[in-house]
This record gives sequence, structure tokens and C-alpha cells, in this order.
Amino acid sequence: MNRTININLGGFFFHIDETAYQKLRTYLASISKSLSDDAHGKNEIIADIEARISELLSEKITDSRQVVSEIDIEDIIVIMGQPEDYTEDEEAYSDASYSYKRNSSSGKKLFRDGDDKFLGGVASGIAHYFDIDTIWVRLLFLVITIAGVGAGILVYIALWILLPEAKTTAEKLQMEGEPVNIDNIEKKIREEFTNVSESVRNAANEASEKIKDGASEFSEKMGQTFSAKTNKNNGLQDFLNAIGKIAMVFFKILGKFIGVLFVISGAAVILSLIIGGFSVGSLEFLNIDGGFINYPDFFYEATLPKWLLSLSLFTLIGIPFLVLLVLGLRMLSSNIKQFSKITSITLLAIWFMALLTIIFTGVEFGASHANYGKSISNNQLDITKKDTLILKMINNDLLYYQDNLKRSSRKHEVAIDGELMVYTNDIRLDVKKSNTGYAYFIVQKESYGRSRIKASKNAEKIQYEYTITDNEIVFDAFFLSDLKNIFKDEEIDITVFIPATSTIYFDSSVKNFLSNVKNKGNIYDKEMVDHHFKMTNTVLKCTDCIAVSQRNETI
Amino acid sequence: MKIENTKAQMRKGVLEYCILSILKNGDAYTSEILSTLKSAEMIVVEGTIYPLLTRLKNTGLLTYRWEESTSGPPRKYYVLTETGSMFIKELDKTWSNLVTAVNQVISTKPTSNE
Repeated sequence: MNRTININLGGFFFHIDETAYQKLRTYLASISKSLSDDAHGKNEIIADIEARISELLSEKITDSRQVVSEIDIEDIIVIMGQPEDYTEDEEAYSDASYSYKRNSSSGKKLFRDGDDKFLGGVASGIAHYFDIDTIWVRLLFLVITIAGVGAGILVYIALWILLPEAKTTAEKLQMEGEPVNIDNIEKKIREEFTNVSESVRNAANEASEKIKDGASEFSEKMGQTFSAKTNKNNGLQDFLNAIGKIAMVFFKILGKFIGVLFVISGAAVILSLIIGGFSVGSLEFLNIDGGFINYPDFFYEATLPKWLLSLSLFTLIGIPFLVLLVLGLRMLSSNIKQFSKITSITLLAIWFMALLTIIFTGVEFGASHANYGKSISNNQLDITKKDTLILKMINNDLLYYQDNLKRSSRKHEVAIDGELMVYTNDIRLDVKKSNTGYAYFIVQKESYGRSRIKASKNAEKIQYEYTITDNEIVFDAFFLSDLKNIFKDEEIDITVFIPATSTIYFDSSVKNFLSNVKNKGNIYDKEMVDHHFKMTNTVLKCTDCIAVSQRNETI
Repeated sequence: MKIENTKAQMRKGVLEYCILSILKNGDAYTSEILSTLKSAEMIVVEGTIYPLLTRLKNTGLLTYRWEESTSGPPRKYYVLTETGSMFIKELDKTWSNLVTAVNQVISTKPTSNE
């Protein structure tokens, strides 16, 4: 069962099936669209076509009660031809009156276009003048504003004040570059009139339909006695419609504003990514490395090459902002096309691949820190109890210069024989009592790795030196490790064991490396330097210090 | 290149001339013009004719008048104007020249030394 509609087609009356009606309507609309090149006789042509269709239909429909079906309309379309058949061959028939439109830019004047404005219509006026799309002019203003620290805003305001708005039809034609003659003015007016009348008609139809629907629904429910109330309902509907329209305008402006924000942020991020990516790429290509680039943490111990990680990171951030940019552009101008389905799917796939790459590397990075491992070396000291053991630390200023010898967990990249290594000062020094009767010290290197064994191997690989001359140990104040370990908390713990009654002397160079050295009187690590300590049965005891209590009194 | 396209182009070129010729023999309304052209197989679909008629009218070769009909709404009768009559006379000459020229070209056999 189908609804039927009554139509007046070319002066004839028809009952028409709803689906058939839709079909006929879209057919006529698409013909109208294909005719849009010559607005001159468009309505006339459509009227002629409608008259002919009604004639053909009345030949088919002999009984006035018969309903026009979809098949009838299909037959009509076969007879009349597809919308493309209605277009005339432009080249074959282009008259003089059509061709002079294009090369008559001499009559153009610069106006503001009040019909197509975002702020004052300056950009669209300029766009008309140069015969380009408005969006490019708007973008140019944005770029000038961003690059010239607000210069674009000043230029815009100046133009807004200086340029008159195209108000009369003659001015509008001058703005768009069409010669001002009676013919064109008439055309313009007619265009405008049809635009306005069409929108008014549409709105009126819609409103009346709604009111009808609402009214019938209401009266069905309430019965005829409450018919007065339906009027009220309509009034309310009108009011809501008005509010809706105001909201629409508001959202339109808001949308443009958001669009501008989207475009700015999208463009800025993509631009910086491209510049960043290009400079990283060229540095890598030219083999300039080192202090210039700071790669993210997880780049260092990755199995995947750095360029792939850079590219993944680039796309991972870039694609969402590209989408944002296009979205913003679309909000500003409806002329910008959406991504095609294939493009969006491809972009999504690339983005996911980038995401997987980064996740994989991230997990890898996490795993490389999962296990702790250490490497211990034990060194006997060939000294007698009478000797005083002297502890010193020394830095290699040629590798990395520091003002003072100081423990720090900060890593520095240094070049050794053309290879980058990590330089760290994270060394702790402690002194304890030896129970074996001999003096010795233990160097414990600590690192991390995917497994405990790997961690221990990493620890073993840490390069650390010290020299023993007579009764003096000179420790390096730093250690070196592979570059890939730059984000691991590697450190070295040195513990010197001396038997009871032996004496030890802390040189001032070890001041910042001592770590909670236990002693009688609880002297702070930093105050232990430049003093002699003797090992008691338990802990060290200072032999040439001012007692803590005394010291407190002097202060 | 489709043969149908070439055929359509050929017909399109002389369509204007045909319409004017029909009207030379007397005023006609759209359906009459259409049926004449269709029976002569000058057009396949009717749609082609409408923009053409309107353009001929706008250039001043044709005009139209409304005539009451016994079976329905008034009909649009197309009439040849003064300029139209002069135009068709010119076209008649051109056409006969063209027919002779084309026939001559078709019947001429290429010389062997070319």
C-alpha cells in the first residue's frame, strides 16, 4: 500500500504514487541542475518539460482515477532522456554573449562582500577581485597574523574601514567582475529573487506542514473541544523555531571560531613536525649527531632503526592534526572536500602501524629496565697495618669538564675514539671494617636489562678504572657505559674494607662521593675529608677532628 | 570513441536547421516538432530539444504564442520570426552546398599516386 499525492503538472491533474512522485521530483531537479549554466531560460525550459511530461502521462493515464506509478515515470524518463542529454554542447553553441563574461575583469572594483562574510567581508571581496576562492584569502590573513605578530589584524581592520560594502546590484556586479548592463542586472535580481522566494517558500511549506501535523495529532488526542489550544501549540512551535534559528546562527559563528582554532593548531603542529622531521633527517643524513638532537628515552635501546621510530612518531602525531586541519578548513569553507574513503582508511592504517611500532618499542624499552643486575669485583690491597690508606678521586676533564668532583645521576654523552658513550658520576664510596685481617675493596657495578643475566652483562660492560700506587688508591670519579644505556639508572658502589687499627685518610676529592660512612661521633660525610680515621672494632674513629660537642660549642 | 557519440554529434549539428525547417512549413507546437523529428530519427530522447528551442527563441530566431486546446491546458506554438526566415534561407543554401560537397568527397576515389 502506498500513499498517493495529487499534483498539478503542466496544467493537468494527476494522482501519483509517493515513490513515483519522489522519482519525478529528483528527475526534474537533476535536469534543473544540469541546465544551471544558462540561468536565462532555465525556468522556461523546466516549464516546457513539465508540460511535455504531463502530455505524455495523460496519454498513458486514460482513466482519471488511475494512479501514476513508478513504472510510468521510468517510461517517461526513457522517452525524455537522462539529465546529461539536456546539456548543450558548450563549444558548439557558445555565443558571443556567453564568452565575453570571462575576459572583462577591467570593470572590476574592490568591495566588501556583505553576502559572504565572516567578519566584514573583506576577504571575500578580495577573493572576488582576484577570482579565487575566499578560503585562500582568509588563510593568507591568518598566516600574516601569525607570522607578523598581529599585522594581519591591522590590515584587515584598515581594509574594513576603507573598503565600501557592495550594496546595490550594480556594485555587486562590479565586485564580481561582470559588466554592468541591463541584462546582467536583471539576471542578478532574478537570481536573488528566486533564491529568496525559494527559501521563503520552503520555510513556509515546512512550517505549515509541521503545524498541520502537530495540529492533527493534537486534535486527535484531545478531541475537538480543545481545538483552541492547538493555536497555542503553534505559537509555541514558532517561538521554538525562532530560538532554534538564533541558536543556529550562534553555532555557525562558534563553528567558524573553532574552525579557525583547528586550522591554526593543526597547521602549527604539522609545520613544526615537518621542520623538526626535516632537520632531524638531514642531521642524521649528514651524520651530524650529538648535542643537537635529544631523542625520546625509548629510542636508545630499540631493535627498530631510529629513522623508522622517528617516522612513526611523526605520523602518530601528524595524522590526527592533519585531520584536525582539514576539519577546520571544512568548517571555514564548504568548498574543501572531505577525505575520500580510501584516503581515510589508508591514513587510519598508517596511523595504527605507527602506533604499533611505538607501542612495541615502548614495551621493549620497559622490558630493558625490568631486571636489575650487578657485577662485583674484589681487589686485595697490599698494605700493612702501619700504613695510612689514602683515598682519592680523579676526573678526566678532557672527557667531560666539571667544576667540582660531585656525585650526580646525570648522564652526559661523550665521544671516545669516535664513538658515543655515556659519562656518569653516580659513584658511592663507603669504608667498612675488614674481618679477614687484610685490606681490600669491592667495586659493585649495577645496571638493568631484559633479564637478570643481561642486566649483569650490562653491568659488567661498564667501564671503570682506578689506580693503586703504594698506599694510595685513586678512583675515577666517573664511569663510562654504552650509549643505549643512557636512560638506565646505572651506578657504582665502592666499599673499602680495612682491618681494625689501620688508619685511612680521605682526600678532599672524595668529599662528594662518600655515602653514609659510619663513624664514632657521627661526623657528616662531607666533614670527614682532610682527616685521618682509625678503624676500631666496629666503625671508624677520627683521630684529628674537633669533637662534635666541642664544635657545636664553638659555633 | 563510441560510434553513438559520433552519430549524436552529426545529428546535433543539423538539428537546429531541422527545427527551423519544420517551422518554415507552418507554426507547430512542441509535440508536433518532437514527433516529426522522432519519426525521422533525428533525435533519440526528447530532452535534447528543450534547451535548443529556448536558445533559438532567446536569440530571436523563434517566438511563440499560446493557443487554446480542446484537450487540456493551452499549448505553446512556436513561430518563425523575420530574422528566423532570413536565417533559414541562408541555411538552406549552406545545406545544399554541404550535401553536394560531402557527396563529392565520399564518391571521390583517392588517386593512386598519393
